[in-house]
Amino acid sequence: MSFIEFKNICKKYPGADKNTVNDFCMNIEEKEFIAFVGPSGCGKSTTLRMVAGFEEITGGELYIDGKKVNEMAPKDRGIAMVFQNYALYPHMTVEKNIGYGLKNMKVPADEIKKKVDWAIKILGLEEYRLRKPKNLSGGQRQRVALGRAIVKNQKVFLMDEPLSNLDAKLRVSMRTEISKLHRELGATTIYVTHDQVEAMTMADRIVIMKEGIIQQIGKPMELYDHPVNQFVAGFIGSPQMNFFDVIVEENRMKFSDGKQVTLSEEVVKKLNGKQGPMIFGIRGEDIKVDAAGIEECKYEQEAIITDTEVMGNENNLYFTFGGSQAVARVSKYGVHDIGDKIVFGFLPSKMHFFDRETGENYAEIN
Amino acid sequence: MLTKKQKRINWILVGFLLLLSLFFLFPVLWMLANSFKPDAAITADMNSIAAFVPPVPNGSFFENYITILTNTNFVRYMANTLFYAAVLILLGIVVNGLAGYALAKIRFPFREQWLLIIMMLLIVPTETVITIHFLIIAKAGLLNTVLGYILPMIVNPFNIFLFRQVFVSLPDDVYEAAQLDFCGPAKYFFTMVLPMSKTVVATVSVFTFLNVWNDYLWPSLVFTSSDLLTAQIGLNSITSNDNTTMGQTLAVITLVTIPVIIIYSLFSKQIVEGVTSTGSKEG
Repeated sequence: MSFIEFKNICKKYPGADKNTVNDFCMNIEEKEFIAFVGPSGCGKSTTLRMVAGFEEITGGELYIDGKKVNEMAPKDRGIAMVFQNYALYPHMTVEKNIGYGLKNMKVPADEIKKKVDWAIKILGLEEYRLRKPKNLSGGQRQRVALGRAIVKNQKVFLMDEPLSNLDAKLRVSMRTEISKLHRELGATTIYVTHDQVEAMTMADRIVIMKEGIIQQIGKPMELYDHPVNQFVAGFIGSPQMNFFDVIVEENRMKFSDGKQVTLSEEVVKKLNGKQGPMIFGIRGEDIKVDAAGIEECKYEQEAIITDTEVMGNENNLYFTFGGSQAVARVSKYGVHDIGDKIVFGFLPSKMHFFDRETGENYAEIN
Repeated sequence: MLTKKQKRINWILVGFLLLLSLFFLFPVLWMLANSFKPDAAITADMNSIAAFVPPVPNGSFFENYITILTNTNFVRYMANTLFYAAVLILLGIVVNGLAGYALAKIRFPFREQWLLIIMMLLIVPTETVITIHFLIIAKAGLLNTVLGYILPMIVNPFNIFLFRQVFVSLPDDVYEAAQLDFCGPAKYFFTMVLPMSKTVVATVSVFTFLNVWNDYLWPSLVFTSSDLLTAQIGLNSITSNDNTTMGQTLAVITLVTIPVIIIYSLFSKQIVEGVTSTGSKEG
């Protein structure tokens, strides 16, 4: 039995037409770091809150460490949680905030002190221990919230968009801190975020949700390289995957503006006989510009750059092709200006084809 | 940055308001100055500016006060009122606070309608329900008892409304975090909600104190025993006694007024914050 088991979990709010979370099934192993990602309203936070016990489960069964917890009070589920808005106790100092749960658990005072000191030390809060939350910065507050979660030695950590209120730089450093904490403590963690970068960089496995339904569960690179549908392909990756409306006839792919690309044997095989209108998807880094030296790629397309983004480590080149706006990611040495003509080709092994109606990835259908 | 013209207008306004405050202060100054004088001096100074000047301190400076404090039960009345106020502040915070919390945070059928009913009670004058209170207390055999006095005073729709308005802006995730920290609902209310809402607790406490301290009608109906009387009734019984001099009357009025002035000056900031914050979300 897995450490956390979701068996057909559903959530329907009173008066709602449909389920907010629908038939959610997955197993989480002990010490795994799982990220729930998806756009706003996809049900990721609701699912997390059902694990915490703050939302009633209206269908299905939830097991934590072998015990069914559907009806169990939050405090008895063996979980600790970090909230988006920190949820610190405003009238208590940092050390009291961290030790409050232990005090209520009737842990002896000397042990509380030891644990609080430990948490304060590893979170670098030594000089703030007597401050109240209002006198702390966002990052410090979030560290206090983490401290409050880690001192209780709970088996499961739940994190509800813990970094969303922090600025970009702090978010990156806190990301590393949370990953480090997870490695050191080994607690099973469920992390909710709408930021796919957080999910990709921190999680062992990612669950992508849309409208209450799991779209795909997998390791970060599985999702990146083998998205099961157009939604996952578009959600994971920045800039997002390029999509073009195409018609495939035998080994030719026609774009809406009449341009044509000859498909390699490998791609035709991947399509498994699928023909006709479909969506062609390819990531920016798999559009190879100016004969980048990759043999399998045919450099037969041309376009004029309409915009550029200099990212420092790489450049994004925007151009119009096949009736759509597209972006190619090139190395920082591939300097181009607006108006320059580029010659490019699509990396065949990284081409994706999606059903126009259902969005399913033809190559990932078994 | 204020312009010269705006500064001049400000000075004129400050001057006008100072004059206006003096106008309101005159009776208080007159009372204070004359409470130290014998009746003959009060009468003699009546038509001069000396009416607002206390006498030069001498051996009989505090005589009026000493007479009141030693020859009457006034200390007892003050102690009684302080006791009633303390009990009513405590019970009022718990009962009205819990009601306000329920109306703000707990989902139950017809919650909004309940709130509306409570708000409608705000427009009912106390005098219209006091007869009913009296009949109930009399039927319960609680006339002339502390319990009989206190019971109808505990619940206060205005305080419930104040608490509700502040509690509604408390973040829900703090309650959820407290649950995971093994903090039950009652403990959460007393150790989290009330400390997080210090301003409204202070406001309600001051309002309750002033209400109890200034109340005349209800204690005069409930109490007959002089051991249980409150300061206001005590004041009336002392001042209506033919043997009480004018100076003693002013001394006893001063004694009754002082706690109100002290409490209001200490907590005026909290009262203003408490009342104004009930309409806005705290950051």
